[in-house]
Order: sequence, then C-alpha cells, then structure tokens
Amino acid sequence: MLVDASIVSALRYEQAGVSVREELQRSHALILEHIASPGTWWTGAERVALVLESRNSLTCALCRDRKDALSPNAVSGEHDSLGSVAQNVVDVVHRIRTDPGRLSKDWFDSALAGGLTEEQYVELVGVVTITAGIDYFAKALGVPPAEVPAPRPGEPTRHRPAGAKLAGAWVRTVAAEDAVGPEEGLYGGQNLVPNIMKALSLVPDQVRALIGSSNAHYLEMDTMMDPQAKRDLDRMGVELVASRVSALNECFY
Amino acid sequence: MSSLSTGREIDLKGVNEGEGAGDGGIPHGDRLLAFTDAVMRGSDADIDRERAALRAVVSDAEYIDAVATIGAFNVVDRIADSTGIPLDETLEAVSQGVRDELGLARFGSSANTPGARG
Repeated sequence: MLVDASIVSALRYEQAGVSVREELQRSHALILEHIASPGTWWTGAERVALVLESRNSLTCALCRDRKDALSPNAVSGEHDSLGSVAQNVVDVVHRIRTDPGRLSKDWFDSALAGGLTEEQYVELVGVVTITAGIDYFAKALGVPPAEVPAPRPGEPTRHRPAGAKLAGAWVRTVAAEDAVGPEEGLYGGQNLVPNIMKALSLVPDQVRALIGSSNAHYLEMDTMMDPQAKRDLDRMGVELVASRVSALNECFY
Repeated sequence: MSSLSTGREIDLKGVNEGEGAGDGGIPHGDRLLAFTDAVMRGSDADIDRERAALRAVVSDAEYIDAVATIGAFNVVDRIADSTGIPLDETLEAVSQGVRDELGLARFGSSANTPGARG
C-alpha cells in the first residue's frame, strides 16, 4: 500500500522535538490508511466510527466507574457514546479500550449474543487495539492523537479463511499449517507462530496489519525470540517497559 | 524474557512495583519504569516530567524505542485479552519461574491458559 504524504504530515510528530524514525512514521500512516479503508466485515466508515468511539471511551463516566469498581459487572448504566455505532458494539469497544484485563469468556459470549458475528468481533478487536497503540505512542511522545483520514469508499471483502478452527482461544484461528491458498505466507513462512500472531487470523488482513505494526514498534517477528535482537534501547530495557505495560494492563499473556 | 536467556542477573520487582523499585540491574531501569508509569497512569504533567528525566539519560533513539514499546504492548495486551488466547506452550515452559515470581496468575486473563492458576 502506498503511503499518503498528507497522512504522514498529519501525524504531527515534528511537534515532539525529536526525530521519529521513518519506519515508525510509515507504519502509522499505513495503519491510518488501513483503518479508513473498507475492511473484511466492516466498511471504512464503520471502521473509522469504531476508532472515534474507542477514543471517546477515555472520557466515558460508566467506563471510569467500572474501572474503579472491584468488578466491572458491579456497575450498570449506559456508556457515553458518540451515537455512530450500535449500543452493543459501544460496550465492546469501550471495554477493550479501557479495561482489557477483566474481559472474560462469558463477556465475549454475551457480545456475540448481542448481535456481533465472530468475524466482526475479531476485526473490531484489530481496529480498536491498533488504534490504542498509535494513541499511546502519541501520548508518550507528547503530541495529539493522529487524525484519522476520511473513510474510503467500498464494500468489505467478506473473506473468511477456510482453515480457521477453534484451537484454545475464544475465537477461531488459522494454524500455520492451515495458512494456505489466500493465506499462504500469512505468517512469513514460519511454522512456530506465537498465539498472539494467530489471534486475529479469522480476519487475515488484521494479522498483516499487526505484523507490520509489531515489526516497526518492537522487533521483526522472526527475531523476537532471539535474546540478542535489539534496536537502540538495551533489550532488557525494552522488555522491562513491555512487562510493566502488561502488568498495568493486568495481562497474563 | 528471563535473565536466563541473556545471561544477566536482573531484579523483576520493578515490573510489579513500578517507580521506586530501583533500576533492577537494567541501565536507566528506574527512569524507564517511571516514564512508563506516567504514560499509563499519570497526568500530562507527570508524563512531561518523566519524559524530561528519561531523555536526560538516554539517546533520542533509545527514547523513541521506549515510546514505541509502550505503543506496541498496549496493542498486544488488548488482543490477547480480547481473544482469550492461551499462553504458548513453549513460552509457558521457559517462563514459569518468572511468572511465579511476578504472581501473574492473579490476573483474570490467566483463566485463558489451562493450569495457569495451579
């Protein structure tokens, strides 16, 4: 995908007073273009609405009260919503953005019972989470969140990988050996693929977006397990930051 | 990543306790933890203060790596917790000691990995 120069300039990273490596700027521009484009089960307009609703969750009173409660189920009410997506979808978007560590299988089942298909759910997870990544990047850098481009026209592809199966996760995933046909090369030809890379594989384009993002932000997928692999920051420093983020997000994985 | 894999001795206390737990034997570990905590939980003023403190001791490129890591793990943590993926068997085996030391089984998402709660 070509990178639109206007999207790169809209990132406003020059305001940070430090050079952001070109690979990251390109990655963020690609993510924004990816978000605004028609997806697999959501249109570009719907995907942009998911992003805006996920950002809106940060000021939602219900989300704040639930986050403070011993259990999110102890607090009921209505989310503060922008009104662009259905209420059942709003809850899913807000919970993933603001309180991911307390999501449960029961909650996931209720999300599907509320009308989302499994495929829509997986794509939603991909869009909301990758947005959280670029938003935290901007926050850490001290610049405003990146502007989301206007939605691109077009219809979702509705491509469902034939090899997707239930294999321990809540959602169906594609194993490395089942990544054939349109999914050939999805995992870069690797046989030992970590579960995190397979998590979104019911919607293969979200895996491609995640791998592109991860390669730019962290390490190339094929070097992650090499303890000597590093960028400029000491590898143990990188892992310390990563572990602390995960602890604060209450993430076991 | 455990100290076993790198051959370096580190103190993991900072992962759970954050700022104030020392540097854990990692260069500028205390500043990295304080900056991470500020971004995740602090005010804009906290972030500005800890950013300046971190940038005073690391290069621009190292600082950007820290920023990028914060971004990256806010993605993967949410994906893991939203899809209910279990921990990979190989990772579970090599990281058991570290997980026990950090008490990670207390997190609700440990329910997604059979046997993780003992």
